[in-house]
Amino acid sequence: MLAVLKAEDLGRIYESGLIFKKRHVALQGISLEMEAGKTLGLMGVSGSGKTTLGKILAGLERPSCGKVFFAGKDLRSMSGREYAAFRRAVQMVFQDPEGSLNPQKSIEQSIHEVLELLKIPGREWQDRTEEMLDMVGLSEELLCRYPSQISGGQCQRVALGRVLLLRPQAIILDEPTSALDISVQAQILNLLKYLQRDLGLAFLLISHQPEVIRFMAHDTIILEGGRTSII
Amino acid sequence: MNSLLSDAGPLLRIEGLSVSFKTNVGRVKAAENVCFELYRDETLALVGETGCGKSVVASSIMQLLPHNASVQGSAVYAGRDLLSLGEREIAGIRGSEIAIVFQNPSLALNPIMRVGEQIAEMLRLRRGFSHISSLQLAEDMLCRLGLRGWDNMKMYPFQFSGGMNQRVMIATTMILSPKIIIADEPSKGLDEALAGEVMAEMVKIKHQMGASLLLITHDLMLARDISDRMAVMYCGEIMEIGKSQDVFHRPLHPYTIALLGCLPERGFQPIPGSSPSMINPPAGCKFYPRCPNRLEKCRRKPKMRQVEGIKTVSDNNECIGREVRCWLY
Repeated sequence: MLAVLKAEDLGRIYESGLIFKKRHVALQGISLEMEAGKTLGLMGVSGSGKTTLGKILAGLERPSCGKVFFAGKDLRSMSGREYAAFRRAVQMVFQDPEGSLNPQKSIEQSIHEVLELLKIPGREWQDRTEEMLDMVGLSEELLCRYPSQISGGQCQRVALGRVLLLRPQAIILDEPTSALDISVQAQILNLLKYLQRDLGLAFLLISHQPEVIRFMAHDTIILEGGRTSII
Repeated sequence: MNSLLSDAGPLLRIEGLSVSFKTNVGRVKAAENVCFELYRDETLALVGETGCGKSVVASSIMQLLPHNASVQGSAVYAGRDLLSLGEREIAGIRGSEIAIVFQNPSLALNPIMRVGEQIAEMLRLRRGFSHISSLQLAEDMLCRLGLRGWDNMKMYPFQFSGGMNQRVMIATTMILSPKIIIADEPSKGLDEALAGEVMAEMVKIKHQMGASLLLITHDLMLARDISDRMAVMYCGEIMEIGKSQDVFHRPLHPYTIALLGCLPERGFQPIPGSSPSMINPPAGCKFYPRCPNRLEKCRRKPKMRQVEGIKTVSDNNECIGREVRCWLY
């Protein structure tokens, strides 16, 4: 099966200082494959490069070396249109659910912002919003509220729903439940499993909780000091 | 783990504590008729999901609630009702007799004061220690919490990680040897290994001081491991209270059973539905809409009832048993 997203020998080096340059190797020699309908777990201690790798795969950061392939095509050889399609197909959900949403926009405005960017005609907005709310298990009465007026679990569902509006093929989940209570964590993890089954999504799940990885992942990579230690 | 029979009578007795907040959208009932006792040298964990009112209970004991809060009930400590004390009297108790470790150390610490000074300041202001001896004691306390060396004393909070700042907060709280420590999510922001280490040290110091600990947490495993008794809160009410091992291994209230089912080792089973509004909560049992065992009579409010034959009797013959707020028992 062709991998949705593939990384080959990825590396990321950060440089600091003006005269005396310091080099910090965040990632080195990372190769992985994400397949449709499967979850790849990514574990490692703080500072091991998990989030950096997630950002590179989502196209939010450029690697210093190595290649990323989306549907078999190298990102660097993509045309502008192809790259835009990649950015839409590969999404990222972040750790802090409240911080992922604009605090000055109501939930409805935040959802409509995505629909507007997708150039969806206004007459379809209501249907698309209802469909999305249904998918992530939220009620319509939340639409008029602001992120600070809903719970962390509801914020994370909205963040996930916004991502789903883009009809992605792969989602990078960066510690999606670590800021949530165990009861909400259980809800979100079960929701992710359901969505994966239903939509055939490929997940890269970044977590430091072995039990979350065990529950969700089909394969697991452990990062240590920017290198793959176990696959 | 200590015995509940260590000394006579409760150190702190909370009775009928109800707290509500007046807001633009209505009155939020954050805590309703909360009752519990904290015994000498005991660790009592108040567990529940975020927003269930745990921190509100802690803040009301210390009179730290905002002006829009309305508080009823009593919190009796050393024969005095803390809720009716004047500002000067409660200020004398805060820190020296009852201390609180807040959940966000980065906000609770002074950002422009070295951490060593912040810890030592407590001893100078409250106990009249000299500058040098207070700094020495502060260094000793930080050392016990795993931050060794004089260099750490000279750091500012922004130079420390969240976990290190949390340890500074704990040191600041414990340096005055208070009788009661209220720890509001003390392990938040710490990774699993560090949280266990810091909490173990905190319990050790607490035990040496002979203090009681009111641990507020949503981490059920932490509560099970370090507390003697556990009170489970849901939507502003205590649903179940008893010995931690009993509550954890033999939960009685359907909410406690559902909450424990969310744990990884029990398969991440989600609780159906969502927590009710605290402005218009269900009239009867607050867990009624989500309860798998609901009965018609659950539409009426259940009272806290003593169940089973599990009873521990303290020196003054007070009963510390298993209590559940459910019509099933």
